[in-house]
Amino acid sequence: MRSFIKATATLAVALFLALPARADHTPEEAQSFIQNLANQAISTVAGRQISDAERNDRFRKLFVSAFDLPAISQFVLARYWRSASPEQQQEFVKLFEDMQVLNWAQRFKDYHGESLQVLSSAKDGDKGFTVDSQLNRPSAGPMPVVWKVHQAEDGKIRVTDIVVEGVSMSITQRSDYNSLLQANGGKFDELLKALQTKIDQMRANG
Amino acid sequence: MHLPKILGIAALLICLSGCATPPPADDPDAVADFEQINDPLEPMNRVTFDFNLWLDDNVLAPAARVYRYVTPAFFRKRVADLVANLKSPLLFANDVLEGNVSRAGVTLSRFVLNSTFGVAGIMDVATPMGLPAHEADLGTTLAVWGVGEGPYLVLPLFGPSNPRDAAGLAAESFLDPLSYYLADNHMRWVSTTRFLVGGLSQREEYLDTIEDIKRTSLDYYSALRSLKRQSRDALIRDAKEGKWKTQDPRNQP
Repeated sequence: MRSFIKATATLAVALFLALPARADHTPEEAQSFIQNLANQAISTVAGRQISDAERNDRFRKLFVSAFDLPAISQFVLARYWRSASPEQQQEFVKLFEDMQVLNWAQRFKDYHGESLQVLSSAKDGDKGFTVDSQLNRPSAGPMPVVWKVHQAEDGKIRVTDIVVEGVSMSITQRSDYNSLLQANGGKFDELLKALQTKIDQMRANG
Repeated sequence: MHLPKILGIAALLICLSGCATPPPADDPDAVADFEQINDPLEPMNRVTFDFNLWLDDNVLAPAARVYRYVTPAFFRKRVADLVANLKSPLLFANDVLEGNVSRAGVTLSRFVLNSTFGVAGIMDVATPMGLPAHEADLGTTLAVWGVGEGPYLVLPLFGPSNPRDAAGLAAESFLDPLSYYLADNHMRWVSTTRFLVGGLSQREEYLDTIEDIKRTSLDYYSALRSLKRQSRDALIRDAKEGKWKTQDPRNQP
């Protein structure tokens, strides 16, 4: 009897451990995730009242926690990702992160009172969601922005793509990087070099 | 009929001077990329692209920056609204040709409202009334009719395009009802001015976007090609659905 109780308890613990850390996310969660992200970005990094270095630091923290960089990198590099060594992959993710941080920090520096209004969300595939929103601009009409998010490997919701007026950031980068790789006979190190050069340029002009 | 033969020879000649080499057939990933990029004329396109870039760097962009510097935003918005209103008859024609009845209704209402209450079109009063603008041209109309885009094509001056949209662009100059009216009334200068001012106004609107793409891309040519094709696809999807409402729920009836 005692051993039965012990066995049951063990089983219960095992079952509990085997359960996913949390239940699947809902479209509503994805929606509020995006709204929070936008609010946080606008309140902490937008505008010129903080230094460039401070803005970059704050944005990097936000970006790394909210975007699924490994998943985006894999998509952007397509078949070249599989042929790269783990060191090259790691180096790419690092450079890609640097570059995106500089890009977005610059965009937020030029902030002119835009606000993001989240409209709706829907399930997209197995673990993904699309969140429809629009960027309300004081100087022009609203701009439609669709966010693609999914449940990352650690169970958290993370962004995988942003589609602005029908143009996907990831698809554009994929086309851009692939054509550079192709022009260089598929040499991965050439892509890393080009990214580094671009980053240095942006730092110098920042 | 000699036409197919002539076209074949022409295509061959163009290809000899400027065709990209297709990847070997035993590399399916590379073949998929090649087809997805849809740019067999890339070497020739890049030459045209470089010319456009030179023209833009030295003439168009500086003109747009001067325009931005010397005019207030309010004035530029009036110009953009006026140009858009002058394009309404052509837009209406395309809406009808695309079979988009509600879009045609919106275009007509916008034209009437903006030409009257909007003081001859300088104020877009229709948008705040819940009648937002949409885009359509002969290229989207041909797409709605099922005409394929063909290979990516960079046109001198007009930039990223394809044979279908280029044909649409050329035909539009013959189709525009306003152009006929103006020509009949010896006011062709209005058409010319509309073209020039429209170009300047549009270039000014895109100053920051283009700057951003140049700044963030490794290969500007490829990034722009991808962007242009995606945004064109989105425009055509909307035209096929006849979509005209903005997504803002506050604007829904």
